[in-house]
Amino acid sequence: MTADIASPAAESSTAVRTTLYEASTQYRHWRYSLEQLAHTRAALNTAAVSAIQEAFESDEPGSSSSVSFLNADEEHLLVKLYVGKISQLCGHFRFPEEVEATAVTYLKRFYLKNTVMDWHPKNVMLTALFLATKTTNHPISLEAYTSHIPKTAPSDVLDLEFLVAQSLGFDFAVWHAHRSLWGLWLDVQSLPDAPLDDLRASYDTALKYVRASRLTDAELVYTPSQIALACLSLASPSLASTWVRSKFPDPEITDPPVLGVIEPIKTLILADGSPPEVEAVREVDRRLKLCKNPEKVVGSKAYLKKREEEERKADEKRRRKADVIKRAMEDGDPFGSELAGRTALDDDDDDDED
Amino acid sequence: MDAVEKANAERQRRWAKDQKIGEGTYAVVYRGREVATGRKVAIKKIKVGQFKDGLDMSAIREVKYLRELKHQNVIELLDVFSSKMNLNLVLEFLDTDLELVIKDRSLVFLPADIKSWMAMTFRGLEFCHRNFILHRDLKPNNLLIAADGQLKLADFGLARDFADPGYKMTCQVITRWYRPAELLFGSRYYSTAVDIWSVGCIFAELMLRTPYLPGESDMDQLKTIFRALGTPTEEEWPGHTKLPDYVPVGQFPKTPLRDLFTAASADCLNLLSKCLIYEPRRRISAKEALNHPYFFALPYPTHPSKLPKPAPKRSSLLPLEELDGNAEPNSSGPGVKANPPNKLKRKHSEDGMNERSKSIARRLDFSQ
Amino acid sequence: MSNRANGWLRGTIVRKSGVSTASSTRTSTPQIQSTSTTVFGGGVKDASGRTSEYFSMEDQCPVCKSDRYLNPKLRLLVSACYHKMCESCIDRLFTLGPAPCPICGKILRKLAFTPQTFEDLGVEKEVAVRRRIAKEFNKRREDFPDLHAYNDYLEEVEDITFNLINDIDVAETEARIVQYRQENAALIELNIQREEQYAQYLKEQEDFERQEREQRAAELRRAEEEEREEREKGRREIIDKLETSDKDAIKLVARSRLEAMRRASARSTSSGNVLQSSSRLLRSRAAQSTVVPDVPHVPLQDNWYAYEDMFTLRDNYDDPASEAVRRDREGIMRAGGYRVEQAWERALRCAVAGLEIMPLEGLHSTASDPAAVPGAGGDVVMASA
Repeated sequence: MTADIASPAAESSTAVRTTLYEASTQYRHWRYSLEQLAHTRAALNTAAVSAIQEAFESDEPGSSSSVSFLNADEEHLLVKLYVGKISQLCGHFRFPEEVEATAVTYLKRFYLKNTVMDWHPKNVMLTALFLATKTTNHPISLEAYTSHIPKTAPSDVLDLEFLVAQSLGFDFAVWHAHRSLWGLWLDVQSLPDAPLDDLRASYDTALKYVRASRLTDAELVYTPSQIALACLSLASPSLASTWVRSKFPDPEITDPPVLGVIEPIKTLILADGSPPEVEAVREVDRRLKLCKNPEKVVGSKAYLKKREEEERKADEKRRRKADVIKRAMEDGDPFGSELAGRTALDDDDDDDED
Repeated sequence: MDAVEKANAERQRRWAKDQKIGEGTYAVVYRGREVATGRKVAIKKIKVGQFKDGLDMSAIREVKYLRELKHQNVIELLDVFSSKMNLNLVLEFLDTDLELVIKDRSLVFLPADIKSWMAMTFRGLEFCHRNFILHRDLKPNNLLIAADGQLKLADFGLARDFADPGYKMTCQVITRWYRPAELLFGSRYYSTAVDIWSVGCIFAELMLRTPYLPGESDMDQLKTIFRALGTPTEEEWPGHTKLPDYVPVGQFPKTPLRDLFTAASADCLNLLSKCLIYEPRRRISAKEALNHPYFFALPYPTHPSKLPKPAPKRSSLLPLEELDGNAEPNSSGPGVKANPPNKLKRKHSEDGMNERSKSIARRLDFSQ
Repeated sequence: MSNRANGWLRGTIVRKSGVSTASSTRTSTPQIQSTSTTVFGGGVKDASGRTSEYFSMEDQCPVCKSDRYLNPKLRLLVSACYHKMCESCIDRLFTLGPAPCPICGKILRKLAFTPQTFEDLGVEKEVAVRRRIAKEFNKRREDFPDLHAYNDYLEEVEDITFNLINDIDVAETEARIVQYRQENAALIELNIQREEQYAQYLKEQEDFERQEREQRAAELRRAEEEEREEREKGRREIIDKLETSDKDAIKLVARSRLEAMRRASARSTSSGNVLQSSSRLLRSRAAQSTVVPDVPHVPLQDNWYAYEDMFTLRDNYDDPASEAVRRDREGIMRAGGYRVEQAWERALRCAVAGLEIMPLEGLHSTASDPAAVPGAGGDVVMASA
């Protein structure tokens, strides 16, 4: 079955072949079960709440009790809203679908590592989109970008860029369901009796479902090909199952497993694939203003205190380094500094002089 | 944010920087090692926040593609970690590159050596193309060579995915001497064939020991190409006169490759000519090239461990004008902090190896 | 096999022609000219002619009991069943055709007798068996996935050899050999080639070294010649100058000597260097090749599965996304080389990639590990199609 490795050398014939999809960072780093997702978000939220509570306390003791923090679901709702906004922006800029899908993915992944109470999705969304234009090879100058978005300065976007990239683990390449759907569209034309007229209509419907799926967690649990297949199945169940059976023609398997997999996806898309209720979101947004992490708010007491702390640490490091160098010079032995350097591993990467 | 930073700090502790070995406009390259195993690595520290458009595109491309590709003939990105101001790429450490090998006149190339290098180049390239990635900057300088002789594609700063239909790509890619005619004529819709042309030029350079098509400007490059391979006709390359930057450059006759590559075998020239076909669609693909009779004919390709390598140079810090993603610098010198004892030790062990290998007892053999 | 003549140099070689052998049996020392090169029988043949035939004053033919004293030209040959007898006995017994061996009764032919190399016939037999086996069982360490398998193979070979040497289960063992030969025909062939190459390398290396030595010797000779001539010339010049000029004699001599020195040093630096370095290089390369051989080319050496067999790329599809491109009225796309097929292939692959991967379930499935090697994902079920 796994053809074309017909080499006489013993090398590849005995080894197991790995699929290219499994090599991707999407498979390796961004794959969860539904339970894991919920758990991750809950844990993130709890940790965030306690950290922010502390920040409130140090700022103004006793203030935190009056604050009503967001829970994980509310955070998720807000993120979903801004995912929708990406679509609108892309339409405005006429970015290709690839950019839109990538930006959506970046936003979702970002909030699996961070909380909205630290970073408001309004800004992260703009940054994620900007980053997506770069990573998908449709770059636009920062100038051009921000000048088309009201009330946005270049620094608003740029300040967060590195943070977003870091939170993504620098996993920039994403496999998308819409491309899989395109492939499906092409491949069903190879089926023996493909009804061409219906095909186009089915494809259009399926594409709408793919776009709806972006509002859900589907891409974090299922593979893009499975999502695309589910969307096609929603548009035309018979076509989808015919295609699947043609791919897995083993007569012993009456129902290829993937057919079972797409059922929950279909349910998910139908249940979650629509924009959130405006009222509910507005409520969350209002509360967010009050429970934002003061440390991240430029100019607040907590923020300034944090900066002081960091400055102090940096100063100390610098002093320590100067000491080491001075000692080495006094030593007179040019190799002395080498030994000292080895033992004190330089953890902080931020010295430009290194 | 703090959780993310913490995770990063942990990753950072896995790697230690030893010594600066190169510096460019946006990155500094260090020789380093993995703390746990002592394995040699190159750490490229990219300063962030330097450019008005944010994270540099080349850095993004390198990270994006190297993160997804894992192959014997593609440089390996071992880890990525970052702090507030810097992005660090941990790459495998590679001593030298093909350009240094070609330029080192004390090295003698056997036909089997050239075959071996070409096979490795094609394999690495085929893997990229299999993943629908165009490299777009192939040149001997970007083909790095490891200690065990394996050749690796490096510097993905100009790479990109295949474009979706109808989307334009820039034609200002690939170093001029290795750039195909379609790019010089300004084509904005191209394919993997551009990489194959570069490989063809590298192939020729391995045989000539000097760049095959060195043009001094884009216009001159076209002339150089046509002078070497003849001006293409409409029949040979349909539609090329309609390309955006097309200009007639002069009529040159086709001269057979054999006139210049006198020592090459027929198979060899056949493959070379297929890499340098004008019409991109007819140019050979990487996969086809690997199945070309040239590679199956005798002599067998030299085993990578036996390929010639230049002796390690020692020179002080060299500034590199544009650090285009080379994981290693042009020199593996001591740099500012001198570590003479280590260097000497290394040299001795190398020589020792050669002596030992010569005196290995020959297999006792009754089958004479 | 050219040096076999040396082994036969104990008398004149008389070629027996035709059928009438009976008449001339006793007139001259019979010479049996065996042209058989196979070693089904006994005897170790040494192609290079460097070993000589075993010889001892105590030699005695077990059949006719004649020894060197009685028959100075006594020559004992070894049979296929590893029994010795003298040439006269061989001739007497086997000239008329195959006959049983007088010692063990095995049917032998006259041709199946070979000269003895080792004192101990047991050794002779063993060496012959080993040589025969080595020709076919020529796998090397590289042909095996691990050391264990290689050792198993070696044990098997030793087993077979032991059986043949000690005449244990001969028929069964021969069958094993045949089976092995059938199963591994290709690899045997390959290894034979490899060994030929190896021999070739050695030969080349030796040739080269010899060449080099000769060259150096020639160089040296030439250099000496030159020197001598120069000295002569110098001396003559001095004499001339002393005759003709009126300058200080001492100064003249000094100057000429200086020139001679300069010439000598110039000569020594230029010559030997280039020759030295390239020869050293090639020698070290040749040495390496005896340790690590070159292997035939394998087009692709990785283990990545790109789902190629799960779809067929057609050259035409109904595809609105690429309509404009394919229409390409001016041929710009074509001239630049853009190929829609490549975009289609990518899409097709995306459509099938990952269909077989079951989603994670529960809280404690394989967590995503940033440091994981590709392919370490736990729940992959490969498609069985």
